[in-house]
Amino acid sequence: MKAELEAIQVAAQEALKDVKTAEALESLRIEYFGRRGKLTDVMKGMGQLSKDERPVIGKLANEVRASLTDAFEATKNALDCKHQEQQLITESVDITLPGRKPAYGKAHPVMQTLERIESIFTQMGFQVVTGPEVETEHYNFDALNTPPDHPARDLHDTFYLTDGHLLRTHTSPVQIRAMENQKPPVRIIVPGKAYRVDYDVSHTPMFHQVEGLLVDKHVTFSELKGVLVSFARQMFGDQTRMRFRPHFFPFTEPSAEADITCTVCQGKGCRSCGHTGWIEILGAGAVDPEVFRAVNYDLEEVTGFAFGMGVERIANLQFRIPDIRTFYENDLRFLRQF
Amino acid sequence: MNVTLNWLKTYIDFEFSAIELADRLTMLGIEVESIKELGTALKGVVVGKVNSIRPHPNADKLVLCQVDIGEEDALQIVCGAPNAREGMFAPVATIGTDLPIGISIKRTKLRGEESHGMLCSEKELGISDDATGLMELSSDIPIGIGFTDALGLDDTIFELEITPNRPDCLSLIGVAREIRAETGNEIKLPDVNLQEDDSDIREITSVTIDASDLCPRYAARVIRGVKIGESPDWLKQRLESVGIGVINNIVDVTNFVLMEYGQPLHAFDYNKLGEKRIVVRRAAAGEQITTLDEEERKLTPDMLVIADATKPVALAGIMGGYETEITGTTRDVLLESANFDPSSVRATAKALGLNTEASYRFERGVDPETVIPAIDRATQLIVELTGGTVCEGIIDVYPGKCELLQIHLRPKRVNFILGTELEADEIRQILSRLGFGVDTLQQQDNIYQVTVPTFRRDITREIDLIEEIARVHGYDNIPTSLPKGDIPIPTTNTLDEVRRRIKHYLLGSGMMEAINYSFCHPNCFDKIRLAGDNPLRDALKLQNPLSPEMSILRTTLLPSLLENAQHNHNHQIDNIALFELSTVFLNGNEPARIAGILAGEIGGGVYGNPHQSPDFFDIKGIVEGALETCGVMDWTFAKTDASTFHPGRNAEVLLGDQRIGILGEAHPEVLDNYELPYKAYLFELDLEKLAAVADFSKRFEPIPVYPSVLRDLAIVVDQDMPSDLPIDIIYSTGGDLVESVRLFDVYVGDQVQEGKKSLAYTLTYHSATETLTDKEVNDLHDKVVKRLNQELGAELRM
Repeated sequence: MKAELEAIQVAAQEALKDVKTAEALESLRIEYFGRRGKLTDVMKGMGQLSKDERPVIGKLANEVRASLTDAFEATKNALDCKHQEQQLITESVDITLPGRKPAYGKAHPVMQTLERIESIFTQMGFQVVTGPEVETEHYNFDALNTPPDHPARDLHDTFYLTDGHLLRTHTSPVQIRAMENQKPPVRIIVPGKAYRVDYDVSHTPMFHQVEGLLVDKHVTFSELKGVLVSFARQMFGDQTRMRFRPHFFPFTEPSAEADITCTVCQGKGCRSCGHTGWIEILGAGAVDPEVFRAVNYDLEEVTGFAFGMGVERIANLQFRIPDIRTFYENDLRFLRQF
Repeated sequence: MNVTLNWLKTYIDFEFSAIELADRLTMLGIEVESIKELGTALKGVVVGKVNSIRPHPNADKLVLCQVDIGEEDALQIVCGAPNAREGMFAPVATIGTDLPIGISIKRTKLRGEESHGMLCSEKELGISDDATGLMELSSDIPIGIGFTDALGLDDTIFELEITPNRPDCLSLIGVAREIRAETGNEIKLPDVNLQEDDSDIREITSVTIDASDLCPRYAARVIRGVKIGESPDWLKQRLESVGIGVINNIVDVTNFVLMEYGQPLHAFDYNKLGEKRIVVRRAAAGEQITTLDEEERKLTPDMLVIADATKPVALAGIMGGYETEITGTTRDVLLESANFDPSSVRATAKALGLNTEASYRFERGVDPETVIPAIDRATQLIVELTGGTVCEGIIDVYPGKCELLQIHLRPKRVNFILGTELEADEIRQILSRLGFGVDTLQQQDNIYQVTVPTFRRDITREIDLIEEIARVHGYDNIPTSLPKGDIPIPTTNTLDEVRRRIKHYLLGSGMMEAINYSFCHPNCFDKIRLAGDNPLRDALKLQNPLSPEMSILRTTLLPSLLENAQHNHNHQIDNIALFELSTVFLNGNEPARIAGILAGEIGGGVYGNPHQSPDFFDIKGIVEGALETCGVMDWTFAKTDASTFHPGRNAEVLLGDQRIGILGEAHPEVLDNYELPYKAYLFELDLEKLAAVADFSKRFEPIPVYPSVLRDLAIVVDQDMPSDLPIDIIYSTGGDLVESVRLFDVYVGDQVQEGKKSLAYTLTYHSATETLTDKEVNDLHDKVVKRLNQELGAELRM
């Protein structure tokens, strides 16, 4: 009987190897474990064994049954797995079909740039304030030390309205409004639209500026440089260098224009920067005492600096749009690019 | 303004290369906008001598020249110029030269005869338009040397941007002074040594200033017996190199000295001056003058003129008169060197629309102390070039002479403003090199008394001196540091928050942000069908618009968005979902608006996500979501008679009685006006009104513990019944136990009676305190059905 059991085990194991389908496995199970199954038959014969043999053979029979049960189970699992795999294959999709993108909009590229500039300055403690776009000569020019017959007015081709009103040519009037409403320290940036009579590939009659103003008991030109260098590194990357050149603005003294290393050639010199390695990005300077006089600040007690930059210009250092008027056509093929 | 390297070097020594000089000037505040090398294009052109000429065997109009260019063998060159002759010196473009006008010189055969180069005209060299014949060169030039060397054409032109505060730099000597500040080298002024004849100028002319407020100084000299002609090459080259046209020897000299000293000069034909004298006065009412450009100009009494005894002969500081101009027959010249009030020149130039080199400088301010050196220099050159003689003496009327300005400078203040640690002595040195006088006023307090030279009229205050010091010390040498002061406490701004939230919401809903010009065409109000008395028509008008399309300031954002839709449709882009956030210009205020448009197709337009046409409820949903993001809850919609919209598909958004916005389907005529072939849905909200009621506070609401029970309900009601009426009744009947009511279907058609519609809702019943039993829900639901029937005549649809 022992030999019989061992033979069953070997034969069943062998037969299992050839099982390919769930049906074949079931008939094999019946062949061994069914009511007339081979193993069942042997088990039935146990009663005829002697007392001595019974526990030995019984133990063996249980072992064989257990091991075969495990083997059948394993085969079943393997077949199930295989079946599921085949099933999944039939469910394949054409992965080249387009994905269903949820609709999402994009902020206008000029706004993206403006928001980035705002966030850099607000992290440095500057507060965002705004002001009107229709201005008076007083706020746009006179209070900014630009009297009516000053040649500097030629630099700004102004759109005029009636009653001495005009469209602000820069965001600087908000400096005056802020200082009129607030005692030092003042630490503001002024984003907004400005207007000049100008319309070509590099000028739009409406454009965006960000103005900055810091006034306190002892603000130095050196701090102006510090703030702007820090801005330039955050805006254009840590490798960016900045240089300051003397310039003229009626409302700052000393005045400067600031250049950054060309974003195309990293300062080596190329067509974009006119082979100088530098690109002008903003105007700045120490607040002119005449401006403090216009807002009744004490000229000896406070000092300050101001700066202003064109947002389209800065945006375009990155985007390189050949005709900046494209910004305001609102062509969706354009807006989707940014 | 243009200057050249060689010309600058006649006034100051320096070792800088062109690039270095450009860099130094730029860092001093004189931005070099471009650098142009003269003459590099003419490398390969040499001076040649025509040794012999013989006829071309095969062509009547051509000759064969043997040309010596200083090499062993003379070159045979075929030439067709009428002025070619033996012994002539002319420029020769050798083989391999690429002339600037686009001709490449190659070895070639012309009608069977070899030609080894080209004899050139001025036009072929690109130096003038003269193509009448070969350019004739002086026979004392060595044969074979480079053409540009021979004529001194090798030079570098710098285009400078001079800021309005620095009129003193609008001259070669002015720029040289800046180089002095950089190098410390001295300025070399021209040597002037006039040989006057013995006739006294006072006996033959006079100058009267009747408007000394506008003319601080007027000087004149008379040169007699001049011979008008062409200027010598050196003078023509100087002027041409900086872009000034050549006219005749007298006018060229005045232009040369203008560039040299920055002092505008004017030469009159002395014999054409009435009574041969000068009166500086305001124009009389009704007076006219024909200026050099042969334009007749009407004058007004606020304009300053130079007149003779009877009539104006020049617009002071702007342009001379045609009648008294220098012509080929002029024998005697009265030369003017004067100073005029900047505002007056500016106003007159602006009124007449006439801008000249002279007015440009006078408007910005010219040093009155340059009047005499400039007139003497010009007189000397005129005498040298025209063979005239200069009368003895000079007339110099100088009513406006000023004291030299003195300013106190505290070296401590310099460092305080700049954040530097400059020594007092460094400061003194910088100022001295700029031409300022520096004296110590009070040794113990270390205050300098600085005397401002007359050419620096822009310097009037201590802060101006501080800028000068910073500039010459070098902005790059000022250290960088971060602000040390206190950061002001920020305030919050609800409007900004509303703007930010709505923008994020709209971006998330798939709309793109547009930015449009604040300008629009006055016809946009007609295009959006605003009634004639609509207050939105009251737009501000620009006095000097760029075009009619940009002539008024917008009072609503809707026309801009419709134009954007039109633009995109015209470019075959038809899935239009745009919004704009901007202020508009209304009643003297600049209220903030947000507006949007949906038109054409929405959806991805891809497999499984096809395009759909938007409808009223898409735009309504967007607006509802926008209100929710601002924490506004109890809005209502009401139909309006706004003529921009489809009369049955529009609504105003109300908060209580207050209208905070409008939305709807554009009226078909509006669509036609913008040439849109499909429907467009618009909204515009008033952000200030929204900000006034916005509520960003949030309070936690317990998440339901007990299960909800869902029941669907379909009712048939009159077709014109608003769908929110049943909802109100459901809520009021169910009270706290109705968690939500969602309309999921609206049906009109065969399955319901005509004039009726079916509305299908999903009701969610829920109690915060217990699990509702089936019976409780059923009873409540029956009550709801009953009330709907009683109050609205709603029938259950089976």
